[in-house]
Amino acid sequence: MSAVAATSVGQPVADLELSRAWLVDPAGGREGPGEIIVTNGVLEAVNWLEGDEAAGVDERGVVVAPAFTDLHAHFREPGNEAAETIATGTAAAAHGGFGTVCLMPNTDPPVDGREGMARLDSVVAGLSSPVRVLAYGAVTARSAGEELAPLGELADAGVVGYSDDGSPVRSAAVLRSALLYGGMLGLPVVDHPEDLGLTSGAEAHEGLVATVLGLRGWPAAAEAAAVGRDLAVLADVLADEPRARLHLTHVSTAPALDLIRSAKAARLPVTCDIAPHHLALSDEWLAGSRRWAWEAVDSVGRARDPWTDGSLVAAPFDSSLRVNPPLRSPEDAAACLAALLDGTADAVATDHAPHTSVDKDVEFGLAANGISGIETALGLLIAGVDAGRLPLLRAIEAMTLGASRVLGDRIGPGSGLVEGEQATLVVFDRADSWEVSPTNLLSLGKNSPLLGLELPGRVLLTIVDGQFAYRDRSLDA
Amino acid sequence: MSVGLEREPSQAVEPASGQSDSGGAGRAAERPTWPHRHLLDTDVLTGGDVELVMATADAMKQVLARPIPTVPALRGRNVTLLFYEASTRTRVSFEVAGKNLSANVVNIATAASSVTKGESLVDTVRTLEALGAQLLVIRHGVSGAPYLAARHFGGHIVNAGDGWHAHPTQALLDLYTIRERLGQSLAGRKVVVLGDVLHSRVARSNVWTLTAAGADLWLCGPATLLRGFEAWARVGAAGRRFTVTSDVNAALRDADVVMALRVQRERMASALVPSLREYAARFGLTAERLELARPEAFVMHPGPMNEGVEIAPAVAEGPRSVITTQVANGVAVRMAVLQLLAGRVA
Ligand SMILES: [Zn+2]
Repeated sequence: MSAVAATSVGQPVADLELSRAWLVDPAGGREGPGEIIVTNGVLEAVNWLEGDEAAGVDERGVVVAPAFTDLHAHFREPGNEAAETIATGTAAAAHGGFGTVCLMPNTDPPVDGREGMARLDSVVAGLSSPVRVLAYGAVTARSAGEELAPLGELADAGVVGYSDDGSPVRSAAVLRSALLYGGMLGLPVVDHPEDLGLTSGAEAHEGLVATVLGLRGWPAAAEAAAVGRDLAVLADVLADEPRARLHLTHVSTAPALDLIRSAKAARLPVTCDIAPHHLALSDEWLAGSRRWAWEAVDSVGRARDPWTDGSLVAAPFDSSLRVNPPLRSPEDAAACLAALLDGTADAVATDHAPHTSVDKDVEFGLAANGISGIETALGLLIAGVDAGRLPLLRAIEAMTLGASRVLGDRIGPGSGLVEGEQATLVVFDRADSWEVSPTNLLSLGKNSPLLGLELPGRVLLTIVDGQFAYRDRSLDA
Repeated sequence: MSVGLEREPSQAVEPASGQSDSGGAGRAAERPTWPHRHLLDTDVLTGGDVELVMATADAMKQVLARPIPTVPALRGRNVTLLFYEASTRTRVSFEVAGKNLSANVVNIATAASSVTKGESLVDTVRTLEALGAQLLVIRHGVSGAPYLAARHFGGHIVNAGDGWHAHPTQALLDLYTIRERLGQSLAGRKVVVLGDVLHSRVARSNVWTLTAAGADLWLCGPATLLRGFEAWARVGAAGRRFTVTSDVNAALRDADVVMALRVQRERMASALVPSLREYAARFGLTAERLELARPEAFVMHPGPMNEGVEIAPAVAEGPRSVITTQVANGVAVRMAVLQLLAGRVA
């Protein structure tokens, strides 16, 4: 149903007119009824409709917005092409409405020098997809956590920042050097905040669900402890290098978000992102619940008891739910949503982590961490919009302008609807849904806990730099 | 949201217990039927299900009293024992139970190392099914593993212990043993589970059955080995009420039943317990401590025991110990479970 018409990928958008749609322009801070015209790949006209012309157009139908940017994705090339290649990953990204992806460097071998970037550039040059592929370089050589990777060489090769994601930057001393040196080069360090001493062998968020299911607890304190360390180091280096920049990725707990909120109030140059599954799902799902996180708290914000209220509808221990950081309590998910609303969180990033069935269809505690999530991110956010928990403009801002704020102009133009620019757009239908199924997912990673569910927000078109990146088959009829 | 996932009948969610359907005592005379395809944990068992296990175990105990303790309930059926963890007690108990029901019992001891080497449980289960396994009894070191097996196996799965999660036949034989002494109703009876609760699948499965039976359940041990249970007790998942404490004297005072749990040496390496000597001194079930319990109180242990650590030898082998009775009842209860899952109606 929603496979790409392969012939159209990479073709220029000769002539496209969308009238009576809901336009969302995060850079302009504006949304409303309107029409767009694309001619020869250029966004020729953006007309906002008013009065009688606008009658009957609302935000619940077809939406046009700048194509999304994913700050955090794992494609598995080189090293594990059975889980994802750059080609399948970009196809999946476009199906999810993403026009730009920032790839984490923890491939095998990792992107820890100019050789890695050259290898990546040559693969990208051969792609038919116009999706922009950007990359982080490793913080440390071989991502081993000890010596610095050649950060300057990586900067020259075009990385957008540095990360040892998959793991935290292991030592505070190395982090300090990386922040100073990266600041000198004008690039941020992206840390995965986890105190490994508290998470050895951990399987599930430490809380009621882990206790009842007998899963090894993964305490919220492990994230807060790491965020606290990182912020202390950042504050310490600013006197020497005011351009030092820290980005904390996939923050998932209330205490860690509180620390970041305070740091931002104190004007520390820190940004953070949240993964869609930490907003919309909770650890209840491990026990067999399938309700949204916001449905799992009561009117005063306390987690409900899924064992008493009949919400356990699926078998427990589904290993597609195993992810790092783990799905947290419904209260933590609510804190993630609050942080997105108040700006503590700058962006939503997918942490797309595709895996093969060999690595994933095993016992919960032996399964690889990660969710194949780049195609379901929009649907999870739209579910929150549909529930009245998240304004549509903020949801889209978090995947467009928010990402630009984190990485600056390195991610290229496209956070707004700007006449005269090359068109970089997503068009999706909020009123239509699609079934998450192995055939509908274009990613090679079928490890989604949403398999079998209907998600709102069907992507119809993704256009990048004036070319088709995704075109829903329903448009061919 | 619309949900396309359905529980298998075996995992059907029962109505919230408490007022309505649980609390086995005083159930109507109508004989219920067994609705579950697998036995993965005790959490989904209703009061009626538990009564059926107890009544069937009574019948099996009578079989065991015969000179030739076998019945043809599983004649021609294949019971395969797939044990990824070493276990003599539970494995032999299932083996004897299967043979007493005239089943063909196949034993597969799998070295623990092959689990971590990535040999797929799913493939193993499918292969065993192709080789004729109809009932698969699984012991596994990873919590939830039998649920994965159940998704890929056409027959019946019995969980013989998974990680820290569940050990349903142990909880059922514990309940059977307690009821033999205290009667069908445990209302108001104080049952104390003492020891390494955090790592114990026996404790978790017992929480479901003992609270459903109306017992005044207390979980006791050092704070490091109770982590998370305080919150469970506070929330009372599924309306289950129990008490969590590190005060061993308060726990044992006026207890009717004391169940000691094994404390393993590894707990010191992971900085949860300073030393076994300190553990024995503060939490070991000694004859002196047992004086706090009611005079007719009795002592249980799921085995294997560390005598001199969580339980003093004099207690383990003393007149209040029902530990060998638990072992004997284990065979009857496991016969009952196998019969209910796959046996022909007599
Ligand atoms: Zn990460």
